[in-house]
Amino acid sequence: MGAVTYPAQEVAKFVDLNFIPVQIETTAQNQALMSQYGVTWTPSIFVLDADGKVHYSTVGFIPPEEFVPTFLVGKARWYFDAGQLTEARATLEEVLDRCSHSHVAPEAIFFLGVAKYKQTHDPKPLRAAYDELMANYPQSEWTKRADPYRLIEK
Amino acid sequence: MAMQVCWVNDLDKARETARKTNKPILLDFFNPN
Repeated sequence: MGAVTYPAQEVAKFVDLNFIPVQIETTAQNQALMSQYGVTWTPSIFVLDADGKVHYSTVGFIPPEEFVPTFLVGKARWYFDAGQLTEARATLEEVLDRCSHSHVAPEAIFFLGVAKYKQTHDPKPLRAAYDELMANYPQSEWTKRADPYRLIEK
Repeated sequence: MAMQVCWVNDLDKARETARKTNKPILLDFFNPN
């Protein structure tokens, strides 16, 4: 990550604009923090709130072109968990506008449908999310997770 | 000039900054070797 992804200008600008960035070496002196977050392999990257609570995590290398969409979804999940649904929706829509070919696009579609439902209490966005996932990402785990929404009337 | 990520290594300070700025924290555990 340090050699390829973080030096990429789009990534550096994105991190600076959107996050408070913290890097911890996986050394013996940081063992307590590693245990707290269940770190057993690197790179392990987490999106935390100010209380230190985890809202999103990844393990393994992420190339520069996937970093921004992946952690836009991470930021959206932070908004979502805080009940800031308008901000969560805007961030997820940004993923789909800027990075529709990203591997996290299905996750963005899933949570966009859920955020719309939570805001409106209208279940139709859940069904729309399922239809979009089934049409474009039939093999995605997020399509499987959305499967019950196929029972909702259009 | 190329921009670089300005990492900090103190999570407690980062939490204070996150609270003041209403930004999330990106916490990266990495192997220095």
